Amino acid sequence: MIWENIKIALTSMVHNKMRTLLSLLGIIIGVGSVVAILNLGQSATDSITESMNIGGIDMVNIFPSGSSRELNVFDESFGETLMNNVDGIEAVLPTASSSTRVRSGQDILSVSISGVTSNFFEVNNTELLYGEYFTSLDNINRRQVVVLGKDVADELFPAGNAVGSYVSIFRQSSKRYLVVGVLDEKDATLGNSFNTTIFIPLNTYDQRFRHIVTMSSYTCKVQEGYNATVVSDEIENYLTDLIGSDYFSVMSAASLVEMTEDVMITLSSFLAAIAAISLLVGGIGIMNIMLVSVAERTREIGIRKALGASPHVIMGQFLVEALTLTIIGGIIGIAFGIGISYTIINMAGWQLHLSYFAIVLSLAFSMFVGVFFGWYPAAKASKLDPIESLSYE
Amino acid sequence: MAENVIELVNVRRFYIVGDFCVKALDGVSAQIKKGSFTAIMGPSGSGKSTMMNLIGCLDTPTSGYIKIGGEYTNNLNEKELADVRNRMVGFVFQQFNLLGKQTALENVMTPLLYAGVRGRERKERAEALLERVGLKDRMKHLPSELSGGQKQRVAIARALVNNPAILLADEPTGALDSRTGDQIMELFQDLNDEGKTIVFVTHDRGLGMRCREQIFIHDGKIVEAL
Repeated sequence: MIWENIKIALTSMVHNKMRTLLSLLGIIIGVGSVVAILNLGQSATDSITESMNIGGIDMVNIFPSGSSRELNVFDESFGETLMNNVDGIEAVLPTASSSTRVRSGQDILSVSISGVTSNFFEVNNTELLYGEYFTSLDNINRRQVVVLGKDVADELFPAGNAVGSYVSIFRQSSKRYLVVGVLDEKDATLGNSFNTTIFIPLNTYDQRFRHIVTMSSYTCKVQEGYNATVVSDEIENYLTDLIGSDYFSVMSAASLVEMTEDVMITLSSFLAAIAAISLLVGGIGIMNIMLVSVAERTREIGIRKALGASPHVIMGQFLVEALTLTIIGGIIGIAFGIGISYTIINMAGWQLHLSYFAIVLSLAFSMFVGVFFGWYPAAKASKLDPIESLSYE
Repeated sequence: MAENVIELVNVRRFYIVGDFCVKALDGVSAQIKKGSFTAIMGPSGSGKSTMMNLIGCLDTPTSGYIKIGGEYTNNLNEKELADVRNRMVGFVFQQFNLLGKQTALENVMTPLLYAGVRGRERKERAEALLERVGLKDRMKHLPSELSGGQKQRVAIARALVNNPAILLADEPTGALDSRTGDQIMELFQDLNDEGKTIVFVTHDRGLGMRCREQIFIHDGKIVEAL
């Protein structure tokens, strides 16, 4: 019976192609935009998080802020305190940063300068282009050695290998530092932009460059098997208990990724909900065409009733017809939506991630629209009086 | 003595139109026997169409009772009435009333669809009947591709397909030329000879007299039953 009804519906659609297409337009546009928006949202989220995943997803950064007695906790030994109190931290890298000018020969450059411990490089997975890193002994002895970021080295030593040369770093007066290493190019993480920074031992920074009152930041490496977002939350809780929430901020790439995902999901759900309104409008189109169809086929309904079709059967026939219409509209709409997302994603240079959820959702929703808006016309058809219907011209 | 296929006992059918009560049928009692070929005759407005609608279970009486094939139809709901129409009554209309977008075969199969008969059996039974009415080579044609006489043959095949207790024909020759009309009349007579009970509604006295029994209706009452 259902198959016969689908056949009847398809026959009547083929007989009225233009009319069918126009009344399906609302459904097609509605489903198309829901699918496109959800696909685009998914693809955008994926490509954003992918780019954030490159550097430092297993790092949590702590930035002390303001000036207060409370900030005294942020000294060089804070790392150990933190590791004793929060689980899942492999290493804590205290960093003191500021900006300065650096000179080699006639060239002077404004750069960021960071005082770091010798394990900073290993923990951050940096790679050397030339030379080597400074050692813990350099740090203890406060030696005036420096590791240059790639861009800085390129500017100051366009000829090539800078290792073994001296640069002058300005504070009140300029002091000469031996270049021991040059970093290879590395994407910036939340805490560090490696290419435009020069790195000196933390103790050297404290004694010869600028006395450290509090660290500029701590970079915590999260142990394998621990969730960076969870560790980040625990650090935040620990610090809030310790000094209150006003004197620091905790940031991690992981929680930023999570935040981005949240924002994108909220945004695309919101847009999809707006698009879904056009599905409702499309539903009214379906109701309209079904009412026309019922009116046009009053006589047919009368004949079918005379042949023994119960009200139920007539109702079923027109519901199946409405469903067939909306499913076909839904399928066209999905194709249309995928087409749009494909075009836009190609232009934006993202990767296409089809949201199967969106496809299933919008098909289900258009079927719901079919049943919901097809109900009234179908009920109307089922209640027609057979005698009157048979004499209907 | 043959059993009664149709029994009407003191049937009334009144319509309220504005402030008036139209008494379309006003106390009609009649019996139609199995295997009979009965004409219901009367001028237009006499109530013969109302009587046909009641016999065909398209309508229910205001009072009195009707028995079709041994079943009372008074207290049936819409669904049950549809079921009785499907099993007991085969309609043949003046205007053929074929489903325009379906082939002759599909038209004939439709009552079996509503009877819940399975696909293959539907097709076999419909094909057999179309062959019986002489349309073996017209099965895949749409009604618009058939002549008036052929359309009425399709309609007759459709009326017969579920093997109903009665064939209810409402002016079946009214839209046909006299030669084609005669052929259709002959087909009815053949079917009656094979044992079908036929009720034939007409205002044409000449046609009515070709039936074996006649019921004359005037102003909602039976004036003469032969």
